[in-house]
Amino acid sequence: MRLPADFPAPPPVGIGWRHAHYQQVLQERPPLDFLEVHSENFFAPGGASRAVLEAGRAHCDISLHGVGLSLGAAQGLDPWHLAQLKQLVCQIEPVRVSDHAAFARALLGGQTVHAADLLPLPFTHAALRVLIDNVQQAQDALQRPLAIENLSACFQWRDAEMDEPTFLNQLATRSGCQLLVDVNNVFVNARNAQYRGENADPVAAAQRWIDQIHPAHVAELHLAGHADLGDIVIDDHGSRVSEPVWALYAHAQRRFANAPTLIEWDTGVPDLAVLLDEARLARLRACESLTPQSAAPLTPAVTA
Amino acid sequence: MNTARPTLAARQQQLVRALMAHPGSDEAVVSAAALLALGVAHPQSERGLQAYRANGHALAERTLQAAYPVVGQLVGEATLHAMARALWHAHPPTRGDLAHWGQALPAWIAQNPALAALPYLADVARAEWALHEAASAPDQPTDLASITRLVTEDPSLLALRLAPGTQLLGSRYPVASILGAHLDGMPTLAEAGERLRAGAGETVLVWRQGFQPRQAATSPGTVAMLGSTLAGGSVLDALDAASAPAPGPVFDLGTWLQSAIAAGWVIGVHPLPHLQPAVSP
Repeated sequence: MRLPADFPAPPPVGIGWRHAHYQQVLQERPPLDFLEVHSENFFAPGGASRAVLEAGRAHCDISLHGVGLSLGAAQGLDPWHLAQLKQLVCQIEPVRVSDHAAFARALLGGQTVHAADLLPLPFTHAALRVLIDNVQQAQDALQRPLAIENLSACFQWRDAEMDEPTFLNQLATRSGCQLLVDVNNVFVNARNAQYRGENADPVAAAQRWIDQIHPAHVAELHLAGHADLGDIVIDDHGSRVSEPVWALYAHAQRRFANAPTLIEWDTGVPDLAVLLDEARLARLRACESLTPQSAAPLTPAVTA
Repeated sequence: MNTARPTLAARQQQLVRALMAHPGSDEAVVSAAALLALGVAHPQSERGLQAYRANGHALAERTLQAAYPVVGQLVGEATLHAMARALWHAHPPTRGDLAHWGQALPAWIAQNPALAALPYLADVARAEWALHEAASAPDQPTDLASITRLVTEDPSLLALRLAPGTQLLGSRYPVASILGAHLDGMPTLAEAGERLRAGAGETVLVWRQGFQPRQAATSPGTVAMLGSTLAGGSVLDALDAASAPAPGPVFDLGTWLQSAIAAGWVIGVHPLPHLQPAVSP
């Protein structure tokens, strides 16, 4: 499909580079602006995985996305984890380093346990202080800003003292970090809030969430699929981006000025062609969002 | 009535405790109730807790399946997954990199009466964990030219440089044969079974060749050479250890080195660090 001459340049678009596609991506070098990997999968000091990442780095920018730093833990950061990440960052020189506004570590029975999940923080001043301290510690060690991602939370703490956008804006302003806005997570949370009777229109609620985030903080957007189980929505990264999330993405791109965009798919990873098609759609949707509203949409219908 | 809000640390401990309590235990019931009292009052909170538990279990199953493929073949997928879920609660992860989780499985198997019918299973698991570690061991440069130093230098000041991830594991069971039969069909399952019934023990050598973790049964001479080297011994120490068993064929270092280099066990020679001349300030 040819884009009109007056179309804006699309944003940088990448995909989550997972084990199933390591070799195919190295051989075919698809036209992507960056490849995102989970940092922890490449902590090993030797062996095949680090060699694969170095080979990918030779022809494409790499974004290191962490899932285990546990930045919101009152227990503090794991020095071992931070040292592994620092070593990897120094070697790979990624375009971005990111992790989540989440915790996983806690002291249980005299031992620090890592729950291996992205567990939600209460939106309280105490949690914000801990998160800021830990983010600053990580940024000092890495000598670069982190991009911090909003969660899809399966559990909501009582006693919130602020809303999530305020929490994240405060985090960015006070720590100097950037924000990674996961558009799918915003929708999943809004849909779950609808199930709890807290809103009647999750798309509108999600748009209001996006409108509260300060554009200057945003470094990247994430897109993924989710599973709606009828009483709860799970952010499983196991399907194509849904139409409401594409609509929110267009809204986010208008607000965040063509931010780099990642297609994530972690459950039942499909053929690479499916991910590349999602990346193509992300470019088109972003371009459409930045053209005059009268322009006819170029995007074909998305099928699951 | 105490109306003080719980601290952040207390909330986080409560959530992790609720996730890591053994399903069906009193602690699971009590910790879930305590957690739900800290969340918004809606049935979705309990569903969310279930979702986190399910995700943890799925991670545990995938992680053990990847690290212990032969154990999985020996006990079957459903049993391995049940073992993974049990281990997740008995020995939860302590690092944010799940490649480090699962090391406790061999000891857990050894203490589990339900697995007593497979007395070799714990040793198979130990060897598989060694293979798992070898896959990600730090890379080591191969420097075969350095082998010639053995001709011109004192072997008591030199040590063999071994392949990344090298480990030796002794067992009363033919563990190398069991692993080989399931991983690459060498030997056959029938041959491995025959060795098991004959009560043959084996010492498994684990090492990495290129990016490929390897394992093999080893001879007493190889066990002595590599065991001494792994313990920090010099080439002379290793040769003494290999030559020590009085009965049997005379150990020939040259012949052994040729086969060790060909197999990728030995990748060079280096001076023993603690025997280097002291550097003046």
